[in-house]
Amino acid sequence: MTVGCAGGLNVILKSMLNPGDEVIVPTPFFWEFKNYINNFGGVTRFVETKEDFQLDIGNIEAAITKQTKAILINSPNNPTGAVYNEESLRQLAGLLNTKREQGQEIYIITDDAYKKLVYDNITLPNVFKMYDLVLSVTSHSKDLALAGERIGYVAISPNIKDLDLLVSAMTISIRVLGFVNAPALFQRVAGKFQRTSVSIADYEKKRDALYAILMEAGLECVKPQGAFYMFPKSPIPDELEFVRTLQQEERIMVVPGRGFGRAGYFRIAYCLPMEKILGAREGFLRIGDRYYKGGK
Amino acid sequence: MKNSSWIRAMFEEGEKLKKKFGAENIYDFSLGNPITEPPEALKEELIRVASSDAKGMHRYMSNSGYEDVREEIAQYQSETSGLPFTKNHIVMTVGAAGGLNVVFKSILDPGDEVIVPCPFFVEFMFYIGNHNGVMKLVDTKDDFHLDMDKIKSAITRKTKAILINSPHNPTGVVYNEKELSELAALLKERGQKGQRIYIVADEAYRKIIYNGTRLPNLASLYDDTVTVTCHSKDLGLAGERIGYIAMSPRIKNVKSLIDATIFANRILGFINAPAIMQRVVSKFQRNSVDIMEYQIKRDAIYNILVESGFEVVKPAGAFYIFPKSPIPDDVLFVKTMLQHHILTVPGVGFGKPGYFRIAYCVNMDVIEKSRPYFKEVGELLRNGKQ
Repeated sequence: MTVGCAGGLNVILKSMLNPGDEVIVPTPFFWEFKNYINNFGGVTRFVETKEDFQLDIGNIEAAITKQTKAILINSPNNPTGAVYNEESLRQLAGLLNTKREQGQEIYIITDDAYKKLVYDNITLPNVFKMYDLVLSVTSHSKDLALAGERIGYVAISPNIKDLDLLVSAMTISIRVLGFVNAPALFQRVAGKFQRTSVSIADYEKKRDALYAILMEAGLECVKPQGAFYMFPKSPIPDELEFVRTLQQEERIMVVPGRGFGRAGYFRIAYCLPMEKILGAREGFLRIGDRYYKGGK
Repeated sequence: MKNSSWIRAMFEEGEKLKKKFGAENIYDFSLGNPITEPPEALKEELIRVASSDAKGMHRYMSNSGYEDVREEIAQYQSETSGLPFTKNHIVMTVGAAGGLNVVFKSILDPGDEVIVPCPFFVEFMFYIGNHNGVMKLVDTKDDFHLDMDKIKSAITRKTKAILINSPHNPTGVVYNEKELSELAALLKERGQKGQRIYIVADEAYRKIIYNGTRLPNLASLYDDTVTVTCHSKDLGLAGERIGYIAMSPRIKNVKSLIDATIFANRILGFINAPAIMQRVVSKFQRNSVDIMEYQIKRDAIYNILVESGFEVVKPAGAFYIFPKSPIPDDVLFVKTMLQHHILTVPGVGFGKPGYFRIAYCVNMDVIEKSRPYFKEVGELLRNGKQ
């Protein structure tokens, strides 16, 4: 049990990394990953995803070096909302199994913070079933709306060899990093709610509403299948300027894509009341007119 | 990894013995995990907070913690120090262990040194090492009080902080105003020469203090003081991981230190202190579990040790006592004690071989029942020596 996902990731990385070890992170990515890896002298190797934000196995293969210790995948993804499909994950497992046969053990660390927030009746592929060296980190910040309580856990595949050693390392890490243990009260509470979540239908409605607005406005955007983020293309290459315009002229607050390692895009977090999403429609439409219909 | 903690090693040894002989036949003094329950009023407050219909009770808040909570704590800090603490000087943390990691991440550059008086709580070594600091151990005097000459000669150009833990784990010593003033004077001298050395005060046991002993307020003695505390012991909430950092308003450029700690709290993966317990503890800054109960236990264990012929400094606080081992090999001694079903931790686990630690935060019953065994071991060893 860990102090949220952020705590869990730090515990894993502390236990796993030697200074100079590399962790592959598909981009766009949640910026904190870089800080977490850096905390333990690790090196983040960024790998571009495809146009639709799915894993690019060719790019991943090219990024693997002798120093690669792990690949950190976050699906449903922050900031894109992409859910990595079964096929790409199987390819990833295949690639890493080939490396294993060649004598290099590379772990998959899955940040499953948004695992219950998936839409369109899709099922999140289970990476444990595909590959042996898997550690899954999750929290109840989103699925049980307990972000402030800092409660999560790490699940370590029973197929990992030297399992006891890794578990001992993590038990010590959780102590020496100063977490000591996950908060007592919410360990007990969360234990009973493993099969429960906040209303996913609610989020799905918000996703649909926001996506429809963006399409109406003429923005380019991959329809997300999970999490509560959308990551549209900025109408102009300098998304910083665009984000400022959106804020100053339409009072719509979003985050520039470079905060996630991908300039030219911006992130919308739609985990807010429906009326805010609908209220922003006019603003998005005006922006669309301005940039796409000659208003520029 | 294997030598990471004698405390845990003994704890695990004890679990095995308990299975073999039954828990009631093992006298486990190995772990500082108090049996004392939180105050009844705190449980009521917890129920009140948990039942609140207010929206957003469990959401993220500012990484430094709730504003109103920090305001309450700042007020308490101002009362005890006489300094103008505001909510900005307080960062809520995942216990004192979390707080210390945040502080060291914020103040240390690789190779920076932190002076730690010895014996010491072994986790400090990891907390400093985590952030590429170098721990410089400095022996204390025979009565475990600070040895100013030794501290003075341990200071180098790389010294960034001295970590003061009082009431102290594992000795139970409480540093007095005189020695802390001397320490402050020594550090001020370095300050005048342009070297800032922080005092990082680990006050996890600050309310567990006996016979009207007063805990001197370090922040009022020395400007560059960062205090870290938690409610694990004073409110019996060890498992809930709730504490805070209080940065003296007199620290020069305190704003940049505050910003650094808030950032460190985030990127080290704590993000924020657990929400519900922040709200609860803010109302209990002036309360604590029953200290008298601890004092009675302290007296009982002290008397048992003295009667049994052990050499021991009477502790003024915390719930530890650190007697001299009757034989030089403390690990062998602790193993001998184990045969008598008494679980303690060898001094080597605190950087001080030749001693052992007793954590007496256990039922009075356990202390009383252990009496004949301490006597037996004491006699055995005295006879053995003759």
